[in-house]
Amino acid sequence: MKNSLLTKAFGLLVIASFVLAACGGTRATQPPAETEAPATEEVMTEAPAMEVELRWRTRPDNQEEINVYSQISKELDAELDGITLTYEPGGTEGSNYQDQLRAEVAAGTAPDVFWIPGTDVADFATRGLILNIADLAAKTEGFDVNAFYPGPMYHLTYNPETNKTGADSGALWGLPRDVSTFALYLNLDLINEAGAPDPRELAKQGKWDWNAFLDVAQKTRALGSDIYGYGASAWWGPNGAWINAAGGSFFNADRTACALNTPEALKGLDFQRSLYADYDVAVPYGEDPEPPFRAGKVAMFQNGRWATPGVRTVTFNWDVVELPNGPAGTPGNWLFWGAYVINAKTAHPEEAWKLVQALTTAETQGKVAALGANIPSRVSQEALDAFLTFTPPANNQAFLNGIADSAKPTAEGPLWAGSWPEFDKIVGPAIQGVLTGATTVEQFGATICDEANKAFP
Amino acid sequence: MNVSSAKDTRTELILRILIIWRLLFALIAVGGVIAIWVGSFGPGALWQKMLITILLSIASIFSAIGAAQIRRRAHAGRMISLALDYLAFFASAVLVLNIGGVFIGIDSLAENFGRGIPYLGIVLAGYFLSILDDYLPLPKQISESSLKRVGRWVALAGFILFLWNVNAVNGILNFFGRLLENGIFATLGVVVFSAAIWGMWRQPTAQALHAKTGHEQILNGWLFLSPNLLGFLIFFAGPLVLSFYFSFTDSDAFNTPKWIGFENYAKLLNIRFATLSSANQLAREVVNIKIYDEVGRFRIGNTGILFAAADKFFWIALRNTLTFALLAVPLSVIPALLLSNVLNSKLPGMKFFRAVYFMPSIAAVVGISLVWQWLYNATIGYINYFITLGVEFWNNLFNTALVDPKIQWVSDEKTALLAVIIIAAWQTMGFNTVLFLAGLQNIPGELYEAATVDGAGTWDKFWRITLPMLAPTTFYVVTTTTIQAMQVFEQVFILMNPPEGPNNSTLTLVLYLYRSGFQNFKQGYASAIAWVLFIVIFGLTLIQFQRQRKSSIYES
Repeated sequence: MKNSLLTKAFGLLVIASFVLAACGGTRATQPPAETEAPATEEVMTEAPAMEVELRWRTRPDNQEEINVYSQISKELDAELDGITLTYEPGGTEGSNYQDQLRAEVAAGTAPDVFWIPGTDVADFATRGLILNIADLAAKTEGFDVNAFYPGPMYHLTYNPETNKTGADSGALWGLPRDVSTFALYLNLDLINEAGAPDPRELAKQGKWDWNAFLDVAQKTRALGSDIYGYGASAWWGPNGAWINAAGGSFFNADRTACALNTPEALKGLDFQRSLYADYDVAVPYGEDPEPPFRAGKVAMFQNGRWATPGVRTVTFNWDVVELPNGPAGTPGNWLFWGAYVINAKTAHPEEAWKLVQALTTAETQGKVAALGANIPSRVSQEALDAFLTFTPPANNQAFLNGIADSAKPTAEGPLWAGSWPEFDKIVGPAIQGVLTGATTVEQFGATICDEANKAFP
Repeated sequence: MNVSSAKDTRTELILRILIIWRLLFALIAVGGVIAIWVGSFGPGALWQKMLITILLSIASIFSAIGAAQIRRRAHAGRMISLALDYLAFFASAVLVLNIGGVFIGIDSLAENFGRGIPYLGIVLAGYFLSILDDYLPLPKQISESSLKRVGRWVALAGFILFLWNVNAVNGILNFFGRLLENGIFATLGVVVFSAAIWGMWRQPTAQALHAKTGHEQILNGWLFLSPNLLGFLIFFAGPLVLSFYFSFTDSDAFNTPKWIGFENYAKLLNIRFATLSSANQLAREVVNIKIYDEVGRFRIGNTGILFAAADKFFWIALRNTLTFALLAVPLSVIPALLLSNVLNSKLPGMKFFRAVYFMPSIAAVVGISLVWQWLYNATIGYINYFITLGVEFWNNLFNTALVDPKIQWVSDEKTALLAVIIIAAWQTMGFNTVLFLAGLQNIPGELYEAATVDGAGTWDKFWRITLPMLAPTTFYVVTTTTIQAMQVFEQVFILMNPPEGPNNSTLTLVLYLYRSGFQNFKQGYASAIAWVLFIVIFGLTLIQFQRQRKSSIYES
């Protein structure tokens, strides 16, 4: 009886301790840890400053990035007076970053500041889920939207009410965390073994075009049935790059309708299809090309800067080269970006704005870029010079060439006149159908815009 | 006599207070309804207002009835009173925990609780010390009581250290700090409702209201049932009803949903069939392409019939889900039936194999799917590697020229769904085998003995005894496997990249529901999909039930 009572009491205490441990985190508002002695009598009469706690989140690709962001959070916590920061890495194996974030936004438990991909900005903004910080930015001394790449800022300053964009549009939805672009990761050992020309040299000579690319891909593919000349993941990025390079585009000029049925777009798609079907040089579409590349079986692996940390662990000789020029004379590359935005429900918009600025300073971006996963989003020669030192790859310039104005990269962006998720839902499987031989380019061209234009209500 | 009289007076006083309390409760509930509709207090969404109004109105009416019943000294008043106060107490307690930040403190719990676990070892050591004398003979110089005392002090010290390390002090301060800020009324509710429950539950009050043994049993029964019942109502029935309501709205999870009637269902089920003048005629020439998309076409010679739908993805998902169920159910039931017959034998090592076949059922779906993702990889996966080795071996051995198929398991629309079916069948088969094993062990051995005497062979015994006698188990296995198959999601979500697979070949209904609700912010539409899926599953299960009734001749 006594033992039973003891067991029950112990059980209850453990349950209570669960509850108390759950409550044991820091509270939303706490008195400052240390306050300096007041210098004057006037100051003494003021109420003590309250510490504001802000939660922030960005999508890390690996543990190293989590460590860097955690360290940045600690440093900014010390720098920002009156603000206590909590960094929350988002996303798990079974629940991806965006899905988890959306569920939390719906439940009202999302962090004060969070990162979203560029394609999501319109959806979040038009639903009123993120703050328009134009007024806060206007009051901030020294802040200039032109300090960042114009591509992302075009979309981040887009005002859906006036259809204006730019510094005076009256809209600012966030600041870009970083930018990125595609390059081809080269297995130099395979290329040498195949006797193919070095794509880096061809690029320097201005001879790196689709024909040269195909030549290298075919020569390396000939090395064996399990060796591939080219590999890319199955998503809109690689598809769009070929279409852009042929002079086509996903959308019309003002991004209000589908343009995938233009001859240019179809030409780009047809070339991409030929890599899989006619020339059989590519890792089958839909198969993850990263494992075979890391296993030394793919000569040219198309991916963004974010793949660099993973590729750094391979044992063969490797480097990068920019995407080959297409018939339109440019590589058709993307300027990828994502932005730190402020939760519309934050209780502390001004402090959140300070945090967004602090997270996008050249210094903070430099620390993240040093990992090798991305490129600073600020347009500054210093930032670019610093980026070039983050080796390997030796040819970091290839990434900078990809985002240079001369390469005319297309900025990743949301659809203000439509729904990007809907568009992607329709177009992605349709392109996959072409690339896996289920439908022809002609069939695709005849029907795709009938379907995809439904994403523009 | 005096003591009894004093007790009666006290009980009478409590009963009077409880009558007043019931009336006050009814008035507060009415006040709550008025505040919701007139004042700015309360939730903004119409459905929330309606729900709370209904609940408060019911509470108010029953509370008034309860007051009248208590006044008449009828036991129904006690039942009503206890039920209302218990539910209100529960609601207040949940509110207190919510305001205290308990439900959103999972991160803190994970962070803090782990630090304290080593100190629970000290508590355990103290406990073992205190019961040492029960198991070991002690030297004379160590007395039993001193050992127990030391053990208790060690356990207490360990527990204090544990509480300190799980940040309990900070937890108490935070919890009560939050309650002081926003939780005064909720805390007051907990105190008042628990006092009302105590007043009504006590024995003298029960006697004054003519409680009988049966009444006590009913109350105890409901009390024991209440955690499960409340859990069911809150986490299952509630969301179910809510999703039904949402299916008639344009809910996007963020803004107040608008009632749109059957619009979601109309879009889902809006289909057209059109005759094609040629097999390759474009859909836009025969249907309004601004509304419909082509789902598929049936070719008949040089002509054909076009099947178009306002939401083609729903119909593709339905087709894939039914295909999945049609293949995955037999593949996970028939092998399980055969395997269970093998494992039911008394050969040595059978227990080991039973465990081995059951293991996939208890492994995490995410882990399994990731492993299969590697196995299925067309370029460096083990499955294709062994196929290649097999083809090479065959060609070398027989001097043939077999071509290595290099199957693109997950990237070819012809094989992608099959890849998911293989995983699902492999994973479910073990569990079904165990169910069949249990069913086999219920078949009387005499039947087999009699069949042997009659000269029946192994096949006859299986076909004429085992299968019919297993009919109830088979029905259960087929029904649950079908329901599970119709709800396939995790394997597809993890295995495929993107989850809908090449050309939407692995887009299933639950995946489409998830995508609509959580990626495209169409929660109303997703709810409608969920209800259509429910109807499909319900229909299939009903058919199975009817078939079972017709063929249940052996059940008795």
